[in-house]
Parts: sequence; structure tokens; C-alpha cells
Amino acid sequence: MVISPVQYIAIPLMAAFLIPLFGKLNKDLARIIPGLVLLYLSYISVVLMNQIISSNTIIVEIIAGWRPPWGINLVFSPLTGFLASMFSMLGFVIWMYTYNFKPEVDNAQKQKFYVLFMMLITGATGIVLTGDIFNLFVFLEITAISAYSLTAFYRERDGAEAAFKYLLIGSFSSTLILLAILLLYTQVGTLNMAEIALKMPGVDPFMKGVILILFFVGFGIESELFPLNGWSPDVYTQAPGPIGAIFAGMVVKAGIYGLVRVVFTLFDVKEILPLLVIIGMITMAVAEVIALRQGKLKRMLAYSSIGQMGLVAVAFGIGTHDSVFAAIFLMFNHAIIKGMLFLSGTYLVYNSTEKTLDDVDGIGKHLPFTSFLFALGALAIVGMPPFAGFWSKLYLLMAAADVRLMTVIAIILVVSVIEIVYYFRVIHRIYFRERISTIELKIPSFNAKLAMFILAIIIVAVGVYPDLISGFIERATTDLLDKQSYIQSVLSVGLK
Amino acid sequence: MNEFLTISFYGTAIVLMLIGLYAALAKKNLLKIVIGLSIIDSGLHLLFVAVGFISNGTAPIFSPEVLESAQQMVDPVPQALVLTAIVIGFATTAVALALVIRLYKHHNTAAIDEIKNLKW
Repeated sequence: MVISPVQYIAIPLMAAFLIPLFGKLNKDLARIIPGLVLLYLSYISVVLMNQIISSNTIIVEIIAGWRPPWGINLVFSPLTGFLASMFSMLGFVIWMYTYNFKPEVDNAQKQKFYVLFMMLITGATGIVLTGDIFNLFVFLEITAISAYSLTAFYRERDGAEAAFKYLLIGSFSSTLILLAILLLYTQVGTLNMAEIALKMPGVDPFMKGVILILFFVGFGIESELFPLNGWSPDVYTQAPGPIGAIFAGMVVKAGIYGLVRVVFTLFDVKEILPLLVIIGMITMAVAEVIALRQGKLKRMLAYSSIGQMGLVAVAFGIGTHDSVFAAIFLMFNHAIIKGMLFLSGTYLVYNSTEKTLDDVDGIGKHLPFTSFLFALGALAIVGMPPFAGFWSKLYLLMAAADVRLMTVIAIILVVSVIEIVYYFRVIHRIYFRERISTIELKIPSFNAKLAMFILAIIIVAVGVYPDLISGFIERATTDLLDKQSYIQSVLSVGLK
Repeated sequence: MNEFLTISFYGTAIVLMLIGLYAALAKKNLLKIVIGLSIIDSGLHLLFVAVGFISNGTAPIFSPEVLESAQQMVDPVPQALVLTAIVIGFATTAVALALVIRLYKHHNTAAIDEIKNLKW
């Protein structure tokens, strides 16, 4: 079988529609298929990444024989390929975790879960791979609609309320993005991102500003930037635990990718970057202070996730090569570490209805493995050496110091202290308090333990040897900042 | 006359979007909010079609008779986009309505003020 980037979209989408059919044949088949799909996607990620890194090219896939700028094309470059590979592999780990999650949930419900899960993978991967701005919107909506439904997955919780809130804000965001695409089309007469980037210098500055603000607000909502992130704490709290990991690892990552692609490639306006820094800093400061006051575990993780996205926005906003490198590194770290915190945190408060911090008191003696991994994740996310989070924060601080942004450094350090306070408070509760709560604990199944363990291994391995990953990130950074070669390689495809 | 037609297209589209926005923000009933969102979508779709519209334009199908008058064709791209956007809007509305039903069963009311288990 020929390996091509289009399989990232075609295979999970097909699987999503086939799952109910296969579920009729054999009820276990519906659970196994997503794993096989994600395993295959991880395999093609390895092959394709190898191919583009070793031959130093990017793969531009022409769909239906219409070469760019007329048809839709997929771009598998070091940046998009890195994110697509990350989504596939993280997706596989999360699938492993969900395989035996909540055995009491009946089979029809599980099938729905996996259908939506596959749709979400399709959408998130599609957002990063596509080279067409309207196609990006379509994938954004696929992601959003499956995300709304997954939020409301549990009937007995307030999921529907959180999902409705998310839907209200989300459809506002998609309206703005659609309007921006329309205005962009009236100005440049094309939807291909490379050609838009090529024609952008000729656009009237006023229209440029309007379109950029529309995109900024639209993608800002998806990537949890202040003040547009009202949806996310409730969504993280009400959605099933593994879905929190998917939101943190994929949905918001795809959102920030959209924002960055628009700002860096399509518009290339340096004036907007300070705004990104300021918004990022406000997001970070506000979210971390609110996280300090949270009494519920998942809500605390949600605010921490918003804070981390603020940090990513700051890093992208500084705009130098080093800081973009730090930003992509942060995206990767946040995806794996916050993923692991959600996966292990879910078992810490498994049977509790309120999921408050009191429920984790003294749990270290009863669930040693899960508690240990949660503590490891907490240390990693605040940036303790020798874990992965340390390097990305260090690179970011170094990049900020290079351009003499002392205020930014000061705020990041203060916010890190706040982060340490609220994460260490949880670790303290886990290990140094007596357990008084009488809620029955749930021992993680073997595959859930394995999934969390894999993420922990990655966190420690990247922490000890950052070179494992920094080569890929270096290439991704160069790819994002080199607009000309992006335009060149997309528009020259199929020209003979 | 033709200019009037164009302006009225744009005007209707913008007015529709504003009406929808008003309904989505000011109304307290969940169903009315969903209707508001749907009206915003319709306004935006109309705006799409209006952008590609040329008065006295022909359908964008190439045939020997119209080959010389390709300038007079309406732009097919916004029409293709709007078809996709309509389907997406339909899907969003369907999910929204499903959530409204779930919320109504859960809380026995459709007033957004009375559904306050989470902080808004």
C-alpha cells in the first residue's frame, strides 16, 4: 500500500463510519478498530517524517488531480508532520487508556465514543495538514462538533450544559473565521494558503487588519486565549477524563496552529506579535491565579492548561527563531504532560462525584502507581529538571532574555511560582495527609497503567535527552518561519 | 436598479446577521438562542452568495455560446463554499438542538437563567 498524507484523513474518517457496522458483527471489534487505525497512523508518521527529514523536502499531496492553487492540497512539512505525528501517537496512547475505561458503560455508548473520537482525530489532523483555508475551516468544524458531543457524553453529569456553552462560543468563533475567509477571498481571490501568502502584500492595510482581527478572535476562542476561554474549565470538568487529555493535546493545539499559521504564513504582519505576547501574558497570569483558588482537581488542571497555552502564545509572540522553537517544544510538552495529568488524575478522583481536592488526601498509599505518575507529571509541568517541561521553559526564558524582554521573564517566573504552589499542594495532599474520604477507589486496568507509563517514559526521556526531539522541533521552526520556501514548494507542485 | 439589487443583498445579509446576534445574546430561551445562531449562519451564507454575484450574470457553466462572455459569469467558488457552510451549519444546529433536549430533560426548563449548575 502506498503511504501518503491523505491517509491521515481518509482512514480515521472511514473508520468512524464503519465502527457501528463492525460493532454489529462483534462488539469488541468496535473497540479494537480505532486502535488499529491509530497504530497505522503512527506507523505512517514515522515513515513520512523519516522521508522528509532525510531528503530535506516537504510532501505536497494533490487531491483529485487539481494541482494548487486550484485544488485542495495537503502539506506534510516538518511542522505539520510533527503535529500530525504527535496527534496520532498521543491518540494511540489515549485509545490504549480508554480500552477498558468504565466497563459498566454499555456497548452502544462505547461505539458512539469511538466514532466521535475518530472524527476528532480526523478533524485535528486535517487542520494541521491542509493547505487550503476553507478546508481548514471545515476540519475545524469537524473537530468542534465532535468535541461538543464528547463533552456531553455522560448523561448524569452537567455535560450538556458545558457543551451548550462551548457550542455557543464555538459557533461564534466559527462565524468569525468564516467571515474572515470570505473577506480574504474578496481581497485575494483564492483560498490556497500559499497563494494567499503570495498575494497578501498587495492587500489594502485596513482590510488586512480587519481580517486578521477576525481570525485572531476566532482562533483565540479555540486555543483558550483570554478573555475568550470561558468555555474550557467547564468542558474539561464535565467531559470524560481521557477527553480532557484529548482537548489539551489536540483540540487547543490545532487551534493555536491555525492562529500561528495565519499570523506567520498568511499575513506575516510583525505588528500583531506584541499583541500576542500581551494577550498570552494576561491569559497566563489570570489563569494561574484562578487555578490557585480551585478546589476541584480537574478544574485546576483546566486552568493550568489555559495558563500553559498563554505561555505558548507568549513564546510565539516574541517571534524570534529561538522563541518559536521554545513554543513548539512547549506545545509538545504540554500535550504529553497535561495528557498524563488528565489520565492519572481521572483515576485519583474516579468514583467521586464532586472531584474535589479533598478526595485525593492520602491517596498515595492506596494508589501508589497512579499517584506517583501524577506527581511526576506535576513536577514536569512546573518545569523541574530533569523532566521535559524544564527544557521548554528554559529555552523560552533564554529566548526572551535575548531580546531583552525583562517584564516577560519576570511574569513567567512569578507565574511559575504560583504553578509550583498549587501543584505541590496537590502532591502534599496525596502523600502527607491521612485519607478520610470513604469513596471507593478504582484500581487502573493494566492498559491504562501502560498508557500512563508510556507517557511518563517519554517525559523522562525527553527531559534527560532533549536532543531526542529537538532536531525535529528545530526543523519545524525553520519550516514555520521560512514563508518563501512554503509558498515555493506548494505552488511548484505538479508543474512539469 | 442593478446597484440597488447588490446593495439590498449586502444589506439583507448584514441585517440578518445582526438580528441573529441579537437573538443569540439577548434571548433567555435555549431554543430561541439556537434559532438566533441559525439566523446568523443564514445571513453569512447570503453574504457569501452576494460576493460572487454579478447582475445579469450567467451560470458559471462553460459552453460554446458563453465562451466569449466569461466575464459575465457569477463566481462559482462562493457558491461551492456556501453549500459546504450550509451543511456545517445544519450539523451544528442539530447538535445544538440535541443538547437543548438533553438540558430540558435534565432541568425541566428551557430558560437559560435557571440552568446554573456551572458558573456562566
